[in-house]
Amino acid sequence: MSAQVLLSLNTLVAVLFLLTAFMLISARQAQAVLYLYVAQGLLLALSTVLLALHFHSPELFIVAAITIAAKPIAIPLLINRLLSPALRRRRELSTAIGIPSALTLALLLSVVAYAVARPLVAGQDPAATTNLSIGLVVSLLGVFLLAIRREALPQLFALMTIDNGVFFAGIAITTSSALVEFAAALEGVMVVMIVALLARTIALTLGSTDTGALDALREREDKP
Amino acid sequence: MTPALAMPPAGFNPVWLMPVPALLAALWSGWLPAARWVTMLAALLGLALALLGAHDILAGHDLPTLQSWIGLDALGAVFALLTAFLGVTASLYSGPYISHHLAHSDDARAALRRYYVYFNLFLASLLAVPLMQQPALAWVTIELTTLFSIFLVGFDSNRPALEAAWKYAVITIMGATVAALGFFLLLWGLDRAGGGPQTFAALAQASAHMDPLLRKVAFALIIFGFGAKIGLVPIHTWLPDAHSQAPTPVCALLSGIEVSLILYVVMRLLPVFISLPGLHLEHWLSVIGLVSVGVAAFLLLQVHDYKRLFAYSTVEHMGILMTGLGLGKIAAYPVMLQVMTHALTKSLAFYAAGIVLVITGTREIASVRGLLRRRPWTAALFLAAALAIAGAPPFAVFSSEFAILRAAAAGGDYASLILLALFIIIAFTGILIQANRMVFGEPSPAVAEAVHGPRGLQWVAVLALLPVLLLGLWMPQPLAQLLQAAAHQLAGGLAP
Repeated sequence: MSAQVLLSLNTLVAVLFLLTAFMLISARQAQAVLYLYVAQGLLLALSTVLLALHFHSPELFIVAAITIAAKPIAIPLLINRLLSPALRRRRELSTAIGIPSALTLALLLSVVAYAVARPLVAGQDPAATTNLSIGLVVSLLGVFLLAIRREALPQLFALMTIDNGVFFAGIAITTSSALVEFAAALEGVMVVMIVALLARTIALTLGSTDTGALDALREREDKP
Repeated sequence: MTPALAMPPAGFNPVWLMPVPALLAALWSGWLPAARWVTMLAALLGLALALLGAHDILAGHDLPTLQSWIGLDALGAVFALLTAFLGVTASLYSGPYISHHLAHSDDARAALRRYYVYFNLFLASLLAVPLMQQPALAWVTIELTTLFSIFLVGFDSNRPALEAAWKYAVITIMGATVAALGFFLLLWGLDRAGGGPQTFAALAQASAHMDPLLRKVAFALIIFGFGAKIGLVPIHTWLPDAHSQAPTPVCALLSGIEVSLILYVVMRLLPVFISLPGLHLEHWLSVIGLVSVGVAAFLLLQVHDYKRLFAYSTVEHMGILMTGLGLGKIAAYPVMLQVMTHALTKSLAFYAAGIVLVITGTREIASVRGLLRRRPWTAALFLAAALAIAGAPPFAVFSSEFAILRAAAAGGDYASLILLALFIIIAFTGILIQANRMVFGEPSPAVAEAVHGPRGLQWVAVLALLPVLLLGLWMPQPLAQLLQAAAHQLAGGLAP
């Protein structure tokens, strides 16, 4: 593939990547959020592979492998196992502000983040220009998403959106082994957090429909 | 290439093995009869190695750097020494505390096993932080400390503990991730400035050739991200929850040294940012610090839970340290002193609070009255710990807070001086009002019916009290030298 084709493809991926972040802000159903997260992970992995070809970087191939293993596969599978069908179909995940105002604010934030990123990447590699700008915007949207979501599962997805945004920027500007260290550590932490905490926390904040989990918890609380 | 890099990798030093005993202890902790003793032995070995490292540095031996990954300098040695010392007291405290805590639990054996495994892993990751010479590795080890402490914060598996653990995990991982982008930008800047080993030292050297805007954005991301992990206002809300719900020895490590270790990584990065034109880094540090001290001081007046009281005091002390960093080179030694006195005193405060919790079974300040009548020794320890952390003379925190205030006066930064002094006095009042209520007066039902806790806890608290009292009155020469060397290094990243 010629360098030009690689870069054009990467730009397309970046646009879709940004789109998933906006869709996450407007999503109201746990299952939809999960699908969007899978799509976001795949796009991140795709961009990593494109940039690995562009920079001829073996480290980026390793990062791509970690990304594919964790984001679109392992983490969604783990979460799927934890969610009961009732929870997955549940609508109206609660937010601190309404969806229309959230989207407006998100748009404003994106403009600000883009304005910051523009001069930062002026005159740099075109891949860095695309990825750093979009990555910065998406990670900021993730922080915003974390601030407006109240329940455990949407908060986790907000957290992973920040993570995706940071790596979307990182793969274009850091091609050393340090990136592999960051990627491995963060994915490890995410997986452990899901395994160790999410199931039990869902019962506290999201699982009003999941009475089985709540009963188990009440029993434990009554103990001296 | 730094000279250290030119040395052969054969430059092996036992100090590099500092986290290894705790790591091995984590593997052994599955076998319960030995777990307690193995944990203590590992912590003692860690302290011995940290002392060895500090000794080598004082003797002027340059510790060789292993492949530009691992190394130890005076600044790192101070943090390593404090971590290792707190590791010893926390492991001594853990034995009697956790057995008592789990005495009525159904699956005490499994819980006990879990506790020792995570405790040792947590300690190992803490001890690894000061050894890391690369920002990426330091970030990874910091992330490991978060990972293992999540389990310990949620250890009780009841509603408050799980809520605290979730909040802790979400906010601190968010912080670390945002900070990671800042690290990426710095490594990118290093690449563009000519590359080389990705160490803190190389970053500082290359910073002059980096794009100022890139450094500004990196600074904003790192101070926001790590600020959230340090517990600076306004992203401090998770800290009192996490640092009060964990088992007491873990609270001592979290509040005493974990947050300070994150501040240590920030300290190591300061040389990259200090020369930024038009940023006035020192003002930013002062403002962030003063806001944290001020908010924490007022929050201290209205807490209802004595473990949260000491957790809020951590927010206050992190604010004092940030303000100190903002004062510039003149405050470098006072800041190092404050790092040490805070770590020693905060662990003591939690050990004392843990004894009160064990004997009364409540964390409510309102339910604990008149400790002195029924439990004079516990009351005396608790009062001493409260006075010490509030900064009363002759305890060590008084001398370090006073040194920071004096540095502010000497530097002519009167705004910081007046505000800091005011907030410290408010915080002092807040802590003392609460401690006073708990210690004096007629015993409340919870105190009147207090059980006898394991005696070992009091001995550990006394052991933790000794340095807090001694260092307030007299500073051993080698320790002063080490702090001075660390301060000299820290000053390289501070405003003149």
